[in-house]
Formats: sequence, C-alpha cells, structure tokens
Amino acid sequence: MGEVCSITKVYRFSAGHRLYLKGISDEENWRIFGKCTNPKGHGHDYYIEVKIRGEIHPETGMVIDIGKLDELMKDVIDELDHKRLDVEVPYFRDFQPSGENIAKYMWSSIKPRLKSGELYHLKLWETQNNYFEYFEEDD
Amino acid sequence: MNNRTLLTKRVDFSASHRYWNPKWSAERNKKVFGKCSNKYGHGHNYSLEVTIEGDVDPDTGMIINLYDLKPIFDDVLKDFDHKHLNEDNPYFLDMIPTTENIARVLWNIIGEKLQANSNCRLYRIRVYETPDLFVDYWLE
Repeated sequence: MGEVCSITKVYRFSAGHRLYLKGISDEENWRIFGKCTNPKGHGHDYYIEVKIRGEIHPETGMVIDIGKLDELMKDVIDELDHKRLDVEVPYFRDFQPSGENIAKYMWSSIKPRLKSGELYHLKLWETQNNYFEYFEEDD
Repeated sequence: MNNRTLLTKRVDFSASHRYWNPKWSAERNKKVFGKCSNKYGHGHNYSLEVTIEGDVDPDTGMIINLYDLKPIFDDVLKDFDHKHLNEDNPYFLDMIPTTENIARVLWNIIGEKLQANSNCRLYRIRVYETPDLFVDYWLE
C-alpha cells in the first residue's frame, strides 16, 4: 500500500445546447428529449471538477502547479464558454451535447494539454441536481 | 461480494501558511510559488472531510460513534485551527504546508489516533483549501 494524492479544482462555464436527432420527426425528438429539444436551444451554468492524481513532489509539496492547470483550463473552457454547443463546437455536430458527451469531450481536450500529473476524474455539474462523471481505467 | 460502509465527518478550521522552500533562492521561490510565497503568510478557511471505513456494530448500528470522533478531531485540530502552520505547527518544520501535505499529515495523525482508540480505519482524507479547490489523500 502506498500513498495516493489528488488535487481537484472546480471551473465554471455557461453554454447553450439543443438535444436533437436528425432523421426522425420533431414529434419523435420531443418524445425522446422532451423540452431539451426546444428548437431555439436553452443553456446551463456548468461546473467542471477536474481531478489530477500524482505524487506529492518532495521539493514543492504539490501534485501539480495549479497556475498551470488554470492556464490550460482557460483554453479548454474558451472553446465552450458562451457557445451554442451543437452549432458552434464541431465535436457536437456528430455527438449530442449531453452532459455525458460534454464530460467525455472535456477529457479528450484536457488530457493532451496536461504536461504533469494524471487526469483521474471529471465531474460535470449541469445543474445543482444533475452531474455526470467521466474517467478512463486501464484494462 | 463484499460490502463496505463508509462514514464521513466534516469539520472546519482556519489557518495561515506560506509556501517557501528554504533550500531555494528567493527568486526561485517567488517564481514557483508566486504570491503564496509572501513573507508574512496568508490564510484560508479550510474544511476537512474524514472518511472512515469499518464494520457496523450490530448493537449501535454504527462504524464509530460520532461522539467519540469529535474529541479526536478537536485534539488534532488544536495544532491547526487559528495557527500559522509554518510557525506554530510541529509537523511543518521541514515540510511546506501545501494542501497536499496538510492532507498527508492529517492522515497520519488521525490514522494513529483511530488505530489507538477504535476498530475502524481511515478511507480517505479530503482537505478543501477553498470551496473550489481540494485535495484527496488515501492509500492503495
């Protein structure tokens, strides 16, 4: 057994979306997605909890430099913040901008930008009552 | 299939600290730690969440009685609450009181006390430095 440490920081962004499946009728979309398929879209204030796991560096006492995480998260969030996701973010032309898919997209956006520490867990709050978690595990 | 029951208690404390590595030059400290290296320190309202694992006692229905847990927390936090961690706390004489190290130190102290006073063990320590920044510490 060895020590494990993670640091989690919460970031916020706001975005609009519409859940809609092409190739089926509006009635069918309404049946599946309810009011989330409103043609003009709607939005949320999202909170993303980014958990980085790693060793506590003996000289700094830190797992990761939070300033560097803030910098890379600014780039990640700039691509989403105050955007209509299914219209303005290319990824969501092919995937529903659901909480599940937004979390997965953010994982793929954060991971290559992270130079130290291991991306361990994401929690995306869509509202105060709904959140989605995404993480990847080795086989 | 094994089952597992966890209990978490949360407690707040306020403390000041300074990020400073005495082996480094002032310039390097400033570059790495930024405003956290300010000479006179700065403070946070910390929240500590201690998650405990153990067998549920069939008579009490509890892993540990929260009445027994409180004095352990009170005792441990005497060295933390309203203290300057670099100056007033014996555990940070040779260690920078980063949130990671605070979690590590609290794990060790609380873990020892639980071992001495109960049949349960630590599962996870979580220390919030601010509501949007926290550290988890556990063993695996």
